[in-house]
Amino acid sequence: MSDNESEFKLEMPKVGIIKGVLAKDIEVVGGKVVNIRTCARPYKNMYSVAQLRTIKKVIEKYGSGKVHLSPRHNFEIPEVKQKEIENVLKDLYISGLFPGGAGTSVRNIFTCPDWCSKQIRPVQELGERVSFNSGDKDMPNKVAISFAGCSNSCSRPQNADIGITAIGEVGVNDKTCPDDCKECIRSCQFDAMEKHNGTITINDKCTYCCKCVESCPETVLSIKKTGFRITVGGKEGSNVMFGKECALFVDDFEAFEIIEKVLRHYQEKVAFRPGSSKKKERLGEVIERLGLEDFMS
Amino acid sequence: MNDSGILQGRTKGKSTLRVASNDPYSAELTAEQIGIIADIAEKFGSGSVHVTARQTIEIPDIELTSINEIKKLIKNSGLYTGSSGKYIRNVMACSRWCLYNASPLSDLAAQLNRKYQGSELPGKTLISLSGCDFSCTRSRTSDIGVIARTKIKITDKKCKQCSLCVKAPLCCQMDAITITDEGAEIDTERCVRCGFCTKICRPGTIAIDSNSYDIFLGGKGGVKPREADFFKNVKSEDELVKQIDAILAGYIAVADDKERIGDVIDRLGMSALEIKDE
Repeated sequence: MSDNESEFKLEMPKVGIIKGVLAKDIEVVGGKVVNIRTCARPYKNMYSVAQLRTIKKVIEKYGSGKVHLSPRHNFEIPEVKQKEIENVLKDLYISGLFPGGAGTSVRNIFTCPDWCSKQIRPVQELGERVSFNSGDKDMPNKVAISFAGCSNSCSRPQNADIGITAIGEVGVNDKTCPDDCKECIRSCQFDAMEKHNGTITINDKCTYCCKCVESCPETVLSIKKTGFRITVGGKEGSNVMFGKECALFVDDFEAFEIIEKVLRHYQEKVAFRPGSSKKKERLGEVIERLGLEDFMS
Repeated sequence: MNDSGILQGRTKGKSTLRVASNDPYSAELTAEQIGIIADIAEKFGSGSVHVTARQTIEIPDIELTSINEIKKLIKNSGLYTGSSGKYIRNVMACSRWCLYNASPLSDLAAQLNRKYQGSELPGKTLISLSGCDFSCTRSRTSDIGVIARTKIKITDKKCKQCSLCVKAPLCCQMDAITITDEGAEIDTERCVRCGFCTKICRPGTIAIDSNSYDIFLGGKGGVKPREADFFKNVKSEDELVKQIDAILAGYIAVADDKERIGDVIDRLGMSALEIKDE
């Protein structure tokens, strides 16, 4: 490998190099100082010790000795001089860190961590697969894809352009439920649990969050089937939108297909924002204009 | 010593440690701190860390017995374990270097973080500070969200029509500025008061008029997401801290167990959290 190192040519990445300034340094707006947003590639929701040490080395050597934690599990390395970008990128590439997750592209895929005890269905593998296929792909506007392993939604799938949440269908077992126990009824935020004469029934208000299973002190309730709910068109920022449900109880393969389809349709059906000639619509705005059915067909 | 920051892991007997930073401020880690985190993950954990959605770092697979040793290690580094359960979460803030951030909130975040660190509340409470309307830190879906506003004005200095403020990509993101023969014109309907244009305007035609903060209350994610409601606009940092104090005091006084600020607002209305006149 060391022989090839001299021939190593660096391609400037399209995204991930963000122009930035410190508020007091007005002079550098021309792009003399940049910030590099890095994510682990191939996609991982964890950073290894070696990667942390690389970041440490880079910020000490080229940056300001500080690193910013972004809300989409990226590290941002601020105040890198323009002429040092190549050196920084070389150091990062070697340890499996790449610039990305910025601009009008598919942002860093966000999955919840696999060590979590609350997870109903693992999402990491699906996240890695989606990242491999469409991570950092050029898009009309920012597209955030978030995966959550349970309805606590730490990764905020409802506010992501495409949100995938693991859900479960709750089944009532034959075991006897103690008469005075009302834990599941108390835990349900949707009034979906009913108890008549010691038997529990679940009505159609259920959103499959499985909070009741978690709360059940006996094993009367259990998860019968798991799958994903896919919501599209959520966004944060100036105008908060919550994603609209487009699929329920899909498996990994179907979820992958739907994500691909949504991204494809978004590229085809997008238009400029009303009154703007620069900015294209976000996914949520396209869906609001066309309606979910029109968008998906 | 509370058990805040120690989370249940998937493997039995092992837990995950959530570490947040206090110095320089919640969203930034120094090289030294990264080194410490790497050392902990290597020595006590499984060699990898997770960066969470709220600017904390989680180190999984840690034996409960080694936690005291880890706490000693991080004691004077500006890191602390916490930000979980009902203990107040770390105060999120956006980056110091961001172009759109007309008035950086890093000092305020550090101040609030130190003030509330370790305090226990009726339910999970997220405080997020954003430097502009785009709210990368999700101010509009946090229990207490703050958005910094910069009102701009057009000064006497003549616009040289360099068009930097309207030339993509580093321009007004809301298309609120139009350059005419007379100079720059600002559409106040479209302007979100981020103050970005004051930084790129070379002749100083567009300048900062006043800074203020918008407070949003009651947003949340989770099973039942809720968008935050606008609470009020305050003029200074001191007043903002005072308001947040009052909101938290009011919240502790009226909230039931596990009730979030959004639920309190739905039940009692916004007035329950306002400063009471004495």
